[in-house]
Amino acid sequence: MTSKQELGSQVKRLLSGVSDHGKQHLIEVETDLVQTAFLLGEAIEKLGASFFALHGAVIAQQNEVDLLLTDLDGDDPKMQRLRMIQEEIVQHTNSAVTGLQFQDLTSQLLARTVQRIIGLRNVLSSLAADGVDLPNDGEEDEIVLKLNSINKHLEAQSSELKDLLRKAVHQKDMDSGDIEVF
Amino acid sequence: MAKTILAVDDSGSLRQMLAFSLKAAGYQVIEAVDGQDGLDKAKAQVVDLVLTDQNMPRMDGLTLIKALRDLPSYQKIPILMLTTESGDEMKSKGRAAGANGWLVKPFDPQKLTEVVKKVIG
Repeated sequence: MTSKQELGSQVKRLLSGVSDHGKQHLIEVETDLVQTAFLLGEAIEKLGASFFALHGAVIAQQNEVDLLLTDLDGDDPKMQRLRMIQEEIVQHTNSAVTGLQFQDLTSQLLARTVQRIIGLRNVLSSLAADGVDLPNDGEEDEIVLKLNSINKHLEAQSSELKDLLRKAVHQKDMDSGDIEVF
Repeated sequence: MAKTILAVDDSGSLRQMLAFSLKAAGYQVIEAVDGQDGLDKAKAQVVDLVLTDQNMPRMDGLTLIKALRDLPSYQKIPILMLTTESGDEMKSKGRAAGANGWLVKPFDPQKLTEVVKKVIG
């Protein structure tokens, strides 16, 4: 085969190779992300159950302590210390509730990433499919024309994928977000 | 009688935290798993406040708000968005659809109950 004859078939082989290898790796990435999402789901279930159980036990304990201390004066240092501890418990409970929303945010990020990976696999499949039409022994101009067409298709698919994706999650930390009443 | 809040979010853990926070503040909470479920439950019982996420399957938050505002019984019921989205464009869309407020996730229980109390008492 002359080098002119090789060009078309080599480009075809490259497109097919990029597609196949890319898709294989993306399948692994998707599997890992799905497993990550599953583990996060399991974690929040366990954390949530423990949190509610712990909270219930703390409230029950507080009620018992309140009963035990009914005879004490409101200004008694023990009562004041107890009130301070109760305040602290409320603050830590609020922080925990804010923190426990991590799974909602991370699962949205993961879902968006998985969606992008599936879209990318489709783009790679198209790349290989478009490459099949490349003439093995075509003239350089013919091959360039076909590659331009493949590029345009790629751009269109990439743009379509961006439109399909779920909205990005911009939160960079787990501090509570803004509130605006209109 | 305790006021009732409809909490609409496709995240089970988020709904749990909402229900925990709002019930601790003395409100009754009805949970819905997406916009369509929220609309069905809102029609079944008129609530005092709707708190809804935006990105949900079957029906998103903005579509839910528009559907609720088409119901005579929900013309004046306050509706707050609770969402990861914080852009001005989305907030404008929410306001145009009929939302009365915008809360960005994650929420702080104390701040949430303060704004709820401000809106419905």
